[in-house]
Amino acid sequence: MADLRAKQPKGVKLDHISKIYKDPKTGKDFYAVHDVDLSIEPGTFVTLLGPSGCGKTTTLRMIAGFESPDEGEIYLGGEPINSLTPNKRDTAMVFQSYALFPHYNVFDNVAYGLRLRKVPKAEIQQRVTDILALVELSGMEQRMTNQLSGGQQQRVALARALVVEPGVLLFDEPLSNLDAKLRVQMRTEIRRIQQALGITAIYVTHDQSEAMAISDNIILMKKGVIAQMGSPTEIYYRPNSEFVADFIGECNFLKGSIASAGAGQAAVRIAGVDVPVATEKSVRVGEAGEIVLRPEAIVIGDTGLLPCRVELSCFMGSYQNYHVRVGDTLVKITDNCPINKKVFKVGDSAYISFDKNCAHLL
Amino acid sequence: MQRTVRRKQGLDLSLIYKVFGAILFIYLFLGFMVLPCLNTLTSIFTTKDAAGNADPMAVIRFFFAGNMPSFVVNSLKLAVCLVVTVNVVGISIVLLTEYFDIKGAKILRLGYMTTLIYSGVALVTGYQFLYDSNGMLTQWLVGMFPNMNKQWFSGFSAVLFTMTFACTSNHALFLRNAIRGIDYNTVEAARNMGAKPFKVLLKVVMPTLLPTLFSLTVMTFITGLCAMSAPTLLGYNSINPEIVRLAGSSVADEAFPQARAALLSIILALFTIVLLTTLNHYEKKGHYLSVSKTKAKLVKQKIQSPVWNVLAHIYAYVLFAIYMTPVVMIVLFAFQNWPAIKAKSLNVSSWTLINFFGTQDYSFTTSRGKTKLREGVISGVFSNADTVGGIRLSFVLSALAAALACVIVVVAVNYIFKHRNKKRAAIVEACLLFPWLLPTILICYSFRTFFNGEVWYVLGQNLYYRENVRFLIVMAYTVVKLPFALRMVKAAFYAIDDELEDAARNLGASQLVTFLRVKLPIVLPSVLAVFALNFNALFTEYDMSATFHSSYGKSYAMVIQSMTAEEGRDGYNMNGSGRRCASTVFIMLVSGLILYLVYGVGARDLGERLERRKKRRERWERLTGKGKAA
Repeated sequence: MADLRAKQPKGVKLDHISKIYKDPKTGKDFYAVHDVDLSIEPGTFVTLLGPSGCGKTTTLRMIAGFESPDEGEIYLGGEPINSLTPNKRDTAMVFQSYALFPHYNVFDNVAYGLRLRKVPKAEIQQRVTDILALVELSGMEQRMTNQLSGGQQQRVALARALVVEPGVLLFDEPLSNLDAKLRVQMRTEIRRIQQALGITAIYVTHDQSEAMAISDNIILMKKGVIAQMGSPTEIYYRPNSEFVADFIGECNFLKGSIASAGAGQAAVRIAGVDVPVATEKSVRVGEAGEIVLRPEAIVIGDTGLLPCRVELSCFMGSYQNYHVRVGDTLVKITDNCPINKKVFKVGDSAYISFDKNCAHLL
Repeated sequence: MQRTVRRKQGLDLSLIYKVFGAILFIYLFLGFMVLPCLNTLTSIFTTKDAAGNADPMAVIRFFFAGNMPSFVVNSLKLAVCLVVTVNVVGISIVLLTEYFDIKGAKILRLGYMTTLIYSGVALVTGYQFLYDSNGMLTQWLVGMFPNMNKQWFSGFSAVLFTMTFACTSNHALFLRNAIRGIDYNTVEAARNMGAKPFKVLLKVVMPTLLPTLFSLTVMTFITGLCAMSAPTLLGYNSINPEIVRLAGSSVADEAFPQARAALLSIILALFTIVLLTTLNHYEKKGHYLSVSKTKAKLVKQKIQSPVWNVLAHIYAYVLFAIYMTPVVMIVLFAFQNWPAIKAKSLNVSSWTLINFFGTQDYSFTTSRGKTKLREGVISGVFSNADTVGGIRLSFVLSALAAALACVIVVVAVNYIFKHRNKKRAAIVEACLLFPWLLPTILICYSFRTFFNGEVWYVLGQNLYYRENVRFLIVMAYTVVKLPFALRMVKAAFYAIDDELEDAARNLGASQLVTFLRVKLPIVLPSVLAVFALNFNALFTEYDMSATFHSSYGKSYAMVIQSMTAEEGRDGYNMNGSGRRCASTVFIMLVSGLILYLVYGVGARDLGERLERRKKRRERWERLTGKGKAA
């Protein structure tokens, strides 16, 4: 088997790029992507995450060359690429619809990019065979694309992108057409292959669980701008805004005022109780404070930090789902593995508590 | 908002292509669509009186003073009557084969659909063969009723009769599809709520067919208005034959014939524009589409009343006989020798292939009592120089025009899709749809008059002169077929996933390579289908051929028309009837083959086609032993 790791992955730098479109209704210009400035290290798996219309696909298409930025410059491996057409860029993309050529069989689809690069026939044969083995499609070379399942089509699309050994691999919501089970299986596959090849990958999705599962870094976007960048753990546990906290998983927001502030920690007064929370932010006593708490970080019991009243108690199999009222605020709790634990009923009084390191002050 | 960075674009090859393409497109649009038609329009107002003074309103005055309105009235009369008769017959054949449970519906459907392969000038001459004064049926009727008028099949009633059955092809295709699209659950629901079968048909089924019927009605009206071959061959003074007659006339014969022809063609164009605008407006309102997620297939309705059931069956088979008799007779007589055809009697001993291949001598006695021999004048379709010349010319010109229309449209649609939502794409599309608004006769008449002189932008050539007329015919054919090709090819382009193009570009393909190796192979089956359908329509096309008819532009349709002339006098036009029958069989075979290729083979999806191709290759390799060697 040929060395599939042969080529060096490339880093990507977006230098204050913006994309302006015209609103067809009002005729006015608006920023689809605004002043996006980021660097992606070679060999990392980065996900552009965000709701529909946040500019993530536009950003990806600008990297691929299908859109040109109106402001800023894109660098690939340190070279500016704004003036290069898509076919001259060292990128390969896996599309949402897979975009497999219906008039070619699996082999010809995968070999397409190599033929355009005028790679010798023998080498094409070898490289296509190797890449199909990597995506576990050996023996299906002669099949037409309409004779493949959704998962197999996905693998062909991946193989077609990988075989040209791009400096950067781009994914535009590649799993959105698959069923839930296959989606989980394929995202693991994609991550496995990316790690095996050490290739730089930029992945677009609106599915936060998908982003968490496969990324080294997540870039969360909102209305064309970057809301937060960081590792999945940082994004999940240390969101920098209500939007980020709310977009990534379920969370509770407890509002109060800063009761005390010290080095690396503070206390927020909620419903008359001072709740300790770890923070690196500098806060002043008396100003408003908001704690972000993940449902699974909260413990419900007969004793604890904050008194509450149970409004919903629902057995979900692997966990017990509670909605409790703390003061005026509704708090969701995920009580994992509820067997052999006390189950509170609707109307019961209880207490909630949590580790101060699991709470995050916005 | 300031746009600080823009993509750098040098003067590359693609820019040169674009500029060249734009110039060529503008040249073709202005030169072969706008200017000739404008010339026709202006020629109405550039008439001169006897003293040579300009008299712009002369032709208008002439129109109201002379008999010109009668041509318009005749055309309108034909169009209105045709709408009624075609709809009655068209709806009948669809209901009888698709909605009601009529025995032998499959056979009936085949009979009703014969007009798909048997139409135009072939159909008209076929009907003449059967019904005109020397026609087989007429002679049979005269035998029974000696006092009857032998010329009964001529004029308005003959045109109406012929066109009624010739124009139901669209009903057989589109109304059939519409009725098949009805959700049977709606019929059952109506029955369940107490509606009687006739009420269900009237209140549930027919309303859903109304949008299709409206479109068919408008198209039928336009067909009636622009009728050419039937009025010409059967003798009815409508607009189109008059335009062709005037186009061939000169000021020495009558008052400003060219301006009168121009006026008539503009009147026709105005009618067409109004009708198509109405149709377009109506189509935009949308159709009644079933919202059912689990649509049930229509079940044929049994006619409960025995009397009505018998009457419906009789009606169905009478229609079948009307459709099939000319076809069967023409096919049978195509294999009879000349004396048998002349005597209109079928005889096994008269069986021959002479109408297709080979020649025979003909001897006859002159008025002075001498016997003369004309060698080889009884000839078949493929051994008659005139007919072969017509077939060859029509074949080449139709193929060239069909191919040219496809090339122009594919390149244009690729451009339109690349720049969709932009004004320039809309302009290109509008330019290509422009001929749709104009009657064919206006385009052809405009071409004939405008290019019948030296035109600077065609290298100072007279395109109506000698062999040049063939180029003119190709251009006219192409222009007329552009709108249809555009609609079909555009639909094919819609099927291309946008991401396919992006994928090819992303993998390193240039725009040209992407077009040639990704997009074109995907739309190629549709493009070939459009080519085949256009070729089929043009091969025996009559209206345009009649306008451009000259010794250098005698197409197959005109050759067929000439076969209807009186036969045998001094050996002239010998075996014209035989060649006419054989030509009809030949045309039916060509049309049948093309329709099979387009709707039979072409209807298979890509996977199926590729699999069949693979199997064919394997079979070939097995036969030739190549597979083993490999």
